[in-house]
Amino acid sequence: MAVYKHSYSAYTGKVTSSWTRLLVLARYAFDEAWSSKISIGLLVFSLLPCIVSLIGIYLANNPLARALVGGGGRQMIEIDAQFFLKILEVQCWLALVLASWIAPRVITFDLADSALPILLSHPISRLGYLLGKFMALLASLSAVTWIPCLLLFIYESYASPTPWIAGNLHIAAGLFAGSVIWIALLAFLGLALSSWVKWRVVATGIIFAAVFVPAGVGGIVTAVLRTRWGFLFNLPFMMSSLWPRLLGAPDTINPDRSLPTGAIAAMLVLACMVCIGMLNKRIRAREVVRG
Amino acid sequence: MGIIDLDGLEVRLANRTILNGLTGSLQGNAIGLLGPNGAGKSTLINTLLGFHPPSKGTARVFGLDSHRDRGQIRGRIGYMPENDSFIGNMSGVRFVRYMAELAGLPPGVALERAHEALFYVGLGEARYRKVSTYSLGMKQLIKLAQALAHGPRLLILDEPTNGLDPIARARMIELIKEIRKEGSIRLLISSHLLRDIDETCDEVLILKNGRIAALCNIEEERRSNRSFMELETVGATERFSVSIRGLGCECASYPGGRIKLILPEHIEARDLYVIASEQGVQIRRMNQRRDSLEDIFLRAMDNDTERTANGSLQAQL
Repeated sequence: MAVYKHSYSAYTGKVTSSWTRLLVLARYAFDEAWSSKISIGLLVFSLLPCIVSLIGIYLANNPLARALVGGGGRQMIEIDAQFFLKILEVQCWLALVLASWIAPRVITFDLADSALPILLSHPISRLGYLLGKFMALLASLSAVTWIPCLLLFIYESYASPTPWIAGNLHIAAGLFAGSVIWIALLAFLGLALSSWVKWRVVATGIIFAAVFVPAGVGGIVTAVLRTRWGFLFNLPFMMSSLWPRLLGAPDTINPDRSLPTGAIAAMLVLACMVCIGMLNKRIRAREVVRG
Repeated sequence: MGIIDLDGLEVRLANRTILNGLTGSLQGNAIGLLGPNGAGKSTLINTLLGFHPPSKGTARVFGLDSHRDRGQIRGRIGYMPENDSFIGNMSGVRFVRYMAELAGLPPGVALERAHEALFYVGLGEARYRKVSTYSLGMKQLIKLAQALAHGPRLLILDEPTNGLDPIARARMIELIKEIRKEGSIRLLISSHLLRDIDETCDEVLILKNGRIAALCNIEEERRSNRSFMELETVGATERFSVSIRGLGCECASYPGGRIKLILPEHIEARDLYVIASEQGVQIRRMNQRRDSLEDIFLRAMDNDTERTANGSLQAQL
């Protein structure tokens, strides 16, 4: 083809490898996710707690600065697993807000105008398509979860007057593992629910509902049957139980209501499997109408 | 080996047999896929693209198995679906570039060819507009542009003129003819508009109820089906018929002096007038026509139901 000739010519150059096409999908999905000003606004808002935490770490490690702000040079906050647990919890809940906005943007544009037949007629599989979208979401949510958390951890290691990092590496591992488990779950949930709803605003609401409505149901089950197993429907409760264990922070939940880590892991895996099943049902080039 | 080889292909969807034992080799530069609604045209295309697995038999594209090697096949195919299928939120050039990158073109080349493809199909001036703002005709054209941008070896067009006004349809047909003329791309065009296939294709596969009703080279078929003629005569019709047979025509007589015949290549209408004059037979009406794609299609439809009764040439007479 040539613009000035308006004639067709075949392409004879080299083609990219199949795995790079996953990155193409991820790149375009990432662009779609961040093309909205609201996405940028949410990102900035999500990073505000990190800035506050950064100031906290600075003050905790600098007596002179504490004296200047009127703290009298006393240690105001302890930088330990508990401190990082609070940061992780705040960032993870902000990640839910961000995910509920960007996950629908990543996938509903493709579904609204039935782009799947064209997309999947290219040399990518359904799994590849979903992996690309998943990677875009994971990268986006990482920007507000484990990346700022680990940056704060590194800053604390740098700012601490005493050797700190060696004795607290488990906190870094916990921050990373806790964040990745949460954002992977959010990515599955966001993709699965968005794939079944054409309207983005509705999808955003449904993602929130999927987290909090079962929690309410679980609360009812717990209260009526007087059993702790109702909390298995309560995603916020499960994560609030899991994160301290990953960071090695003291567990604040009443032991009578505490869930075993295995049960929590099994429930999270089950939730992911349900999401994968939903995606498998929906992400198809052609629907077969039965009847 | 043809472009597309079908060997006892059977496709079952939702416990229904949609394609039933299709066997044949498609070798034309532009292959038309014809059939009434529900004949299985779109299912065949979807099977060739690897969207539906065959339940029996095989379908091969460029010698590759349509299900097992679907990744390789899709890399060599450009597909323009029948219905709306695009990302409305993207500009035209971004959408075509995205599709070209997915087909394996490096980003820079994909952008260059996206611009070229859009100019080629006539959307150059609208390439920075969002696809959702395009008219129906423009949406058809952008689907064609994305199917062309990566330089496929086989272009599958599913109802390419669907919903187009006469001018847009003529433009689309012209584009298809240009692509065919260029020669580097084979075409598979599905349509239920005989005229579209007639104008663009050299081979036709006609489906009915999931079976092959006809698979033929249109030009050869036209050549082999010589001129049909219907006469209304007054006089010694029987003797006239015998004389016509003597010229080498196949003919049949009907009550009321009606005669149907097929003229061989070397016989012209003038020869019939000469015999009629010699025998004192009046020819009151003469109706001559060439076999059209419509005849081929209708015959294929008849063949499927009454293969022996109506399928042969003799039966038509």
